[in-house]
Amino acid sequence: MNHAALAALAVRRTAAAGLVLVALSVLIFAATEVLPGDAAGTLAGADATEAEREQLRRDLGLDTDPARRYIDWAAAAIRGDLGTGYVGRREVVEVLADRLPNSLVLTTLAMAVAIPVAAAIGLVAGLRAGRRADRAVSTATLVAVGVPEFLVAALLIAVFAAGLGLLPEVSLVPLGGRPWDSPEVLVLPVAALAVAATAAAGRLLRASVADIAATPYVEAARLRGVTGVRLALRHVLPNAAGPAVQVVAVMFAGLVGGAVVVETLFNYPGIGYELQQAVANRDVPMVQGITLAMSATTLTVLLLGDIAHLLLNPALRGRA
Amino acid sequence: MNGIDTAETGAAVTVTRSRHALTAAGTAAAVVVLAALLGPLVAPASPTAQVGLPFDVPSAAHPLGTDAVGRDVLSRLLHGGRAVVLLAAGATLLASVVGVTLGVLSGLAGRRPGEFVVRVVDVVAVIPGLLVLLVLAAGFPGSDTAILVGVGLVSLPFSVRVMRSATRQVAVRGFVDAARARGDSRWRIVRHDILPNVTGTMLAEAGIRFSAAVHLTATAGFLGLGAGPPTANWGRMVNENTAGIALTVWPVLAPALLLVTFTVSVNLLADDLAARWADR
Repeated sequence: MNHAALAALAVRRTAAAGLVLVALSVLIFAATEVLPGDAAGTLAGADATEAEREQLRRDLGLDTDPARRYIDWAAAAIRGDLGTGYVGRREVVEVLADRLPNSLVLTTLAMAVAIPVAAAIGLVAGLRAGRRADRAVSTATLVAVGVPEFLVAALLIAVFAAGLGLLPEVSLVPLGGRPWDSPEVLVLPVAALAVAATAAAGRLLRASVADIAATPYVEAARLRGVTGVRLALRHVLPNAAGPAVQVVAVMFAGLVGGAVVVETLFNYPGIGYELQQAVANRDVPMVQGITLAMSATTLTVLLLGDIAHLLLNPALRGRA
Repeated sequence: MNGIDTAETGAAVTVTRSRHALTAAGTAAAVVVLAALLGPLVAPASPTAQVGLPFDVPSAAHPLGTDAVGRDVLSRLLHGGRAVVLLAAGATLLASVVGVTLGVLSGLAGRRPGEFVVRVVDVVAVIPGLLVLLVLAAGFPGSDTAILVGVGLVSLPFSVRVMRSATRQVAVRGFVDAARARGDSRWRIVRHDILPNVTGTMLAEAGIRFSAAVHLTATAGFLGLGAGPPTANWGRMVNENTAGIALTVWPVLAPALLLVTFTVSVNLLADDLAARWADR
């Protein structure tokens, strides 16, 4: 397959991802604003008069046609305007710009911890598929995958914050400050995120490595007497690179969800915390803007992982 | 996402475990389900009544102490499991019924219409499941039905994909062609030739989906989605009482232990079910 065909394939995948984002934006808009019916009625409160509700409906523009409203919203979003939140009248885009860096630091650090550990346990277990080390790793990761992030985080708080008093139990960051100015507030949130990410990625990598280890190519290397670290690094790892890149992309998608939970528990000033607050406050424009931004980020990372997978795995290039 | 598909179904990652571990997991899961379903009948106090001071340590009257607003922790514990267990079960049932229908029909349909169905349900699968729940909870505040539908929606793409591929594997075997040649109706083929051959896959798949659903419903409870306060919910209890963890650990530890026991044992059982089916 030549470069032009590969580029065409990458373009097709990108277009498909764009279509998915459009579909998601319709779903987000419909679920928050169209399907629930009378948003103004809920917002105005039970004791509001009919005239007050009508006024609020007009103020929020909820008296116009839903399709029209969606098109206006989407057109504004493309121009970089996601509207203003109901609570505190904050610009959604400004909240995103302010909070996104904090969340990216959290997820990047979690990945920096999770990727090497997951790679190590994936290789060790996958190369010994079915043996004792594999059984131990597989059971441990299965247990870790099963425990929700908020329980891991609560356990870490109980031990390291409340019990030993080593680390803060809430990630308090002074107004206008950044979490990395006081690194101790990052430790527990990063650890809580990394546990689930490591376990999930470790299991996926173990499966890939076990598949590769069973190929005639690796069998031949083993018969030639190649073993241990050399076998892992020279023969298995290059073949696992394609799947591994996708595992990292999937890991990121998982961390986006995990960040909402962990940021909420630690009061960490990230985009996930803002989303949870917006949902609790029924702040519809804020929920729409943040979920759209999160969906776009996740889709982009998955798309990059997909394209990297194509580039790294010659065998897959023929299948589109 | 080639290469990851096998791992997502759990089959390729699985190793066989001892009978003892599985018996223990089965017993633990059954105990938690019973406590969740029958708990409200035996709870000593109302789960919403204030019966003492906040964050009181365990005593004879309140064996697990009191929570952040002075409610009996044991009573809240006995009431708080129903939502997690029933919502997860309902969502799994919903995803299985719709998933089997769409999966089998799309598996029997031609390549293009079949792939179209997968593409459509996949739209929800690319974003984190929790985002789907948060969006629905913003639109339908305080609704447990929205959580049930949301968790079902998150499970659906996996269910459709697995059932579609199982159906296609059965459909290429001779007897489906033979039935078609005999002039059997599509419904008869589905009932007599396809469904009996995909039942195992269906059950294994439902097990994996259920363990993911428990994880997600517990997290939804923690984030305060679904039926609002003062309703007791294991996930929300952890959130409500973390602030008092230095005074008393029980309001956090007790629901956390039950949730961990439940998610881990269900995970082990689902994994074993999938492994058993993969071996056949």
